[in-house]
Amino acid sequence: MADRKEPKPDGPVGAGDGGGGGAPDAWFFCLRMMGGRYAFEAPLVTEVVRLGPLTRLPAAPAFLPGVFTHRGEVLPVLDIVQLVGQGSVTIRPSTRVAIVHCGPWRVAVVSDSVEGLVAIPRRTLEPPPAESSGVAEFLSAIGRDAAGTVAIIDLPRLVDTARARAVPAGGTPA
Amino acid sequence: MSGHSEILLFQVGARVFAAEVYDVVRVGAVRNAQEPELLVRSALGEPFARNRGIVVASHQGGTEHTLVVDQILGVRTVPESDVHPLPAFAAECLQSPSVTGFVLVDESPMLLIDLPTLVREQRASAAAAPSP
Repeated sequence: MADRKEPKPDGPVGAGDGGGGGAPDAWFFCLRMMGGRYAFEAPLVTEVVRLGPLTRLPAAPAFLPGVFTHRGEVLPVLDIVQLVGQGSVTIRPSTRVAIVHCGPWRVAVVSDSVEGLVAIPRRTLEPPPAESSGVAEFLSAIGRDAAGTVAIIDLPRLVDTARARAVPAGGTPA
Repeated sequence: MSGHSEILLFQVGARVFAAEVYDVVRVGAVRNAQEPELLVRSALGEPFARNRGIVVASHQGGTEHTLVVDQILGVRTVPESDVHPLPAFAAECLQSPSVTGFVLVDESPMLLIDLPTLVREQRASAAAAPSP
């Protein structure tokens, strides 16, 4: 069963405006993982679906736990938590994935839970912390809404980095 | 049969894989195979036992090698529309070129293995490994 989420275009909305004099909100797609709220640009997300049976891949990096079939299409699953070395997402029958388009890649991002769309005025976004390790390496901004803080991930950069780190170079199979 | 592929389903360890029947010379017991020709450990993992084997001709010189497997599950004829390449992102990330795609069998994706490439990869890996 698919939960289609059509991200809305950027534009002024009432909720989440932060009372900021009509400043346009940016829409982000929010996930929960690593004990926090993480989001990326909503237009990257095409849909959210329940993760079907996972086929594990031999010699795959740990952040690529496998592939699954959705409407006849085979999609790779990306575990961001693994990529940043913070453990891994526990996959359950109820686990959902956000299917995203990042440049030439189409991947399914797995997380502990899916929150959905959040609107944050762009002018309220703050720069990310100056750390360069873990998930901080991939953050583009920090936002806040009524539910709290949201770390904004530069998903295209993260996906490109994942691919670059996995490029075979005599590494050992996962 | 046009528009269809014949695939061999086999099991290594707990996993089931698929390969084009075209790449298989024969299947059978491994007891008669010579040790240097046996591929026990590969990117597909390691079998629980050394009972069955898939004989594959390598690309170079037609040398035969036997991939040791746990079970031969049979041959299936599938429509080519059920044969898919690896998703681009997965293809970029995998460390073995022998995994080329998927075959949907009863709507479940089975990894499609290029057996000659697997043989070549394992022979190259064995040749590069330091002697004990």
